[in-house]
Amino acid sequence: MKYTQNPITFMQYIFLIHGVQVGVGLLTLPRELAEKAGTDGWIALIIGWLFSTLASLIIIQVMKNYPNGTIIDLITHYFGKWCGKIAAVIFILYYAFIGSTIFVREGLFIQFWILPQTNMVILLLLLSIPSYLIVRNNITIVGRYAELVFFMTIWMFFFYFNPLKEAHWLHLLPIIKEGWFPILKAVKTTIFSFLGFEIAFFLYPFLQQKHKASIGIVIANTLTLIVFLIVTIVAFTFYSPDEITQYKEPTINLLKIVEFKFLERLEIVYLSFYIFVISTTVLPIFFVTVFSVSQLFGKQDHSKYVGWLLLLNLVYVFFLPQSFDRNTHFQKMGEPISFLLGYAFPLCLWVYLLLYSHLKRRAIK
Amino acid sequence: MLFFRNYRNKQRQQSSFKMQNNDLTEKVISPLLLENLAEIQKIFSETTDLIVKNFVIKQTKCPAALVYLSGLTDTKTVNNHVLRPLLFEANKEEQDFEVQVSLGLVKENSTWQEIENAILQGNSVLFIDQRHIAFIFDTQGWPQRGIEDTNIESSLRGEHLGFTETGSNNIAMIRRHIPNRELKMKEMTVGARGNLKLTILYLADVANPDVLKELVDRINKLEVDGILNAASLTEYIEDNPYSPFPQLFLTERPDFAAGEILQGRIVTVVDRSPNVLIGPATFEIFFKSMDDYGARWIVASFIRLMRYFGFFIAIFLPATYIAVIAFHFEIVPLKLLLSIGASRERVPFPPFIEAIIMEITLEMLREAGIRLPAKIGQTVGIVGGIVIGQAAVQAGIVSNIMVIVVALTAIASFIIPNYDMGAAIRLLRFPMMIAAAIFGFVGLAVGLMTLIAHVIALESLGTPYGSPFAPLRFPDWKDLFIRFPEWSIVKRPESTRAIQRKRANSNRPKGDEH
Repeated sequence: MKYTQNPITFMQYIFLIHGVQVGVGLLTLPRELAEKAGTDGWIALIIGWLFSTLASLIIIQVMKNYPNGTIIDLITHYFGKWCGKIAAVIFILYYAFIGSTIFVREGLFIQFWILPQTNMVILLLLLSIPSYLIVRNNITIVGRYAELVFFMTIWMFFFYFNPLKEAHWLHLLPIIKEGWFPILKAVKTTIFSFLGFEIAFFLYPFLQQKHKASIGIVIANTLTLIVFLIVTIVAFTFYSPDEITQYKEPTINLLKIVEFKFLERLEIVYLSFYIFVISTTVLPIFFVTVFSVSQLFGKQDHSKYVGWLLLLNLVYVFFLPQSFDRNTHFQKMGEPISFLLGYAFPLCLWVYLLLYSHLKRRAIK
Repeated sequence: MLFFRNYRNKQRQQSSFKMQNNDLTEKVISPLLLENLAEIQKIFSETTDLIVKNFVIKQTKCPAALVYLSGLTDTKTVNNHVLRPLLFEANKEEQDFEVQVSLGLVKENSTWQEIENAILQGNSVLFIDQRHIAFIFDTQGWPQRGIEDTNIESSLRGEHLGFTETGSNNIAMIRRHIPNRELKMKEMTVGARGNLKLTILYLADVANPDVLKELVDRINKLEVDGILNAASLTEYIEDNPYSPFPQLFLTERPDFAAGEILQGRIVTVVDRSPNVLIGPATFEIFFKSMDDYGARWIVASFIRLMRYFGFFIAIFLPATYIAVIAFHFEIVPLKLLLSIGASRERVPFPPFIEAIIMEITLEMLREAGIRLPAKIGQTVGIVGGIVIGQAAVQAGIVSNIMVIVVALTAIASFIIPNYDMGAAIRLLRFPMMIAAAIFGFVGLAVGLMTLIAHVIALESLGTPYGSPFAPLRFPDWKDLFIRFPEWSIVKRPESTRAIQRKRANSNRPKGDEH
């Protein structure tokens, strides 16, 4: 009942999920794929998309069992109060960890590319201002933000067609040149690129048209696939297979060749705007974190935890100097947990709920 | 402690300001004329503009007294339509009805409070000996100006009547546009001393009742001694008082107000103020002007687009300049960079200081020009123009490019048709400049993000302010950047939450039909 007060529309639902999926990962994605699978990496993307779509659909099936609550409500309903609390704590820790890692990574990229002399803490403090303003509101506002930012940043995508003028399509051939094994190795990377769909665990009760939840999440995944695929293929065809692995962020380097009569070094402007794209990843994650905290304590209002979360992030960055290496290390550390929560957990839960309803029906008979 | 004292002060003030009205609420007039006149003298002590005219009504031979305030009544009406019939005319056929006046509105009342209010509002009150009621005649006539062309919202094709300070005239001007029985009104009074009359106008079968209720509730909650104009009323009832953006639309154009009523919005006519309030307002309504609907739609769309472009120029151009010069000069192509460098060669200040000097000068010039009489105002413009344009550059205080940037910014902020929004934009430029001076483009992006975050969360009378951008409502985009031809806009905007969406039928032949 309480979730219907701040509903999100179908479009907001799509762009929230899509926004969480596309973020900092895209900047390094072509290199990571090229390192593992060479120019066949794009096939791994499609396989990764298949997996993520399957997992997304399973999540929706799970949520259908308890349509008017988040995953925490669902667990509380089926497994009892204490399991619900434990689940809430796990989700809070997971999202706080992921959110903070991405937030820091965003700061690192900005520092590396645009403001090399600015202190990390000050940079994150700056980024915290709009984050606070948005996350303290309800999910409707976060949804509106994701929706608006998608349409606001759509033009950035079209710059990637510019390098195609000098594309060498031969780089892609022959397809599957080294067999399936490297591709499958790259799938390990891509299934993490698509992570973010598991936020549907928390969005589902807010969605107005619940019958469209499945199609919406498929659309969101597909949008993400299109973005990933085009950027990756442009990078693969523009750079030679060996050259691409030398760049840390080929996605940004690609734009260096775009030039206007009145503007050079487009990538600086681009990356400044890319903060918007990253914010649609970070903000919903922050929202889910504080929202789960409020659920844990049984409070209606989540807004007072937002400041604490951001402050905690700042304190953490202040005392623990950040670098790309450490950040990447954290990201790798988070991957098994992400896999468990995004893929394994919904599957197990789904199977359990199927058995549960089956047994219950039999018991009634 | 301080809080406690304030609280007690507040309580005392409130109770004292209730007292004055309370002692009259229940009191009724007496049948004796002399007693009533004594009471009048008591209420209106030290009121030199009070006039008490004692006479005998010719019809009934009863002693009577007419009481009114001299400046607030129309002397001609009092003389010709009240005093003359009572003093000189006797109608033998209608013996039973003794008050024979040639006026449309005559009220009868017996409570002192009503009588006091009536006198204070410019009515004249007739007391008759041996009667338990007093007669209130509508003889209002206060000093007022004629209806003139609008001042700040002038237009080429729209009507050339502006609202005046008389609420009833303003209502009439709106009703001229919508002579429909569904145009309903709610009358309210605000202010314990000011007794300001507010009239809420809306189309009963179109406007959303929740929005109406929200507005009425907020006005009802007001406790204040007096409100002097519509703009200060908005400050009491708007949603977010800390926002730089106006959340209710103030207009002095009857055609604009009527148009918004037809869209499903609610108009509050504030007596004694030449502006009316329109709510719920959205961000985009501040970028509309009446001329958009008077020009060809292609032209109107072009102007609309320029306004939105101007919005971004006015907020971000000086900031972008600062960011580019101070941080990211590498993004400027070499030739352009050289010419910028040549113009900045002699300037000793960092770009932020340079920009601040110019912007502050310009803002001061603008403010100086507004308050001064037209003739001196021109001089200020010329002096300012020459100082900024020539002397400052030659003296090496600012660069030529900076002058161009500032001039562009000023022009851009002036093409916003609404004054409040223009002012908000002029103010927002400064935090953006500071952000750009510290963080370059990142500061700009974060500034824009903060702006968006603020607008998205803003509401006007409980309806989203950012609509149709956020929440995204594509059907409403027909009247946003591009103004589609009028016949193609068949639905009212979703952002007004109108309960009746359809406003027209598109009967134009399509395809091969004609």
